[in-house]
Amino acid sequence: KDRRPSSETERTEEATMNAGANANMSPAEKAKAFDMAQHEMEYRVDLFNRMTSSCFAKCMDTRYKEGDLNVGENSCVDRCAAKYWQVTGIVGQMLGGMQQQQQAPR
Amino acid sequence: MDPSQLEGLPEEDKQKMLSMIENMQTKDSLRMYNSLVEKCFKDCVDSFRRKNLDSNEERCVTKCCEKFLKHSARVSVRFAELNAGAEALMQQQQKR
Repeated sequence: KDRRPSSETERTEEATMNAGANANMSPAEKAKAFDMAQHEMEYRVDLFNRMTSSCFAKCMDTRYKEGDLNVGENSCVDRCAAKYWQVTGIVGQMLGGMQQQQQAPR
Repeated sequence: MDPSQLEGLPEEDKQKMLSMIENMQTKDSLRMYNSLVEKCFKDCVDSFRRKNLDSNEERCVTKCCEKFLKHSARVSVRFAELNAGAEALMQQQQKR
């Protein structure tokens, strides 16, 4: 069974662990950290799935003449992933800025 | 999955995390299965004069699956690289 698309949960897991879930937190803090870890993981899996799906739509020839990716498609996928990531970054910044404005005291 | 990533946690928390991960993996595998079926169906099946798939349609679906899985594997590699790059950058910034 191909588990590769699910490996993103594993990578996110590592990042979340490094983010500092440790044994000395109160139960309430731990529960909150656990929820955050779960949200973070779900977010990353969703991000990966959407990236995969978008880049497939943009880069692949849907006539499916071959089961393999040709050189052009390979390059397209690499660049698509990089650009998708950059878009994610920009949108993240914009949303962060908007939230700050909404929370700023008047 | 590298179990040493969970080493610092008490056993109960470790089990909770492992169980959450396994749950998410199952859910995601099923989701992928369904979405791949839908994608290949949409791209490969256009006529309904007969009840059964003809050999062209079958071949198309097979290649569609192969292609998607290979594509997904490649994106997975790039995603990991981009992730690692972003984390390295964050750690650099935290050290300042």
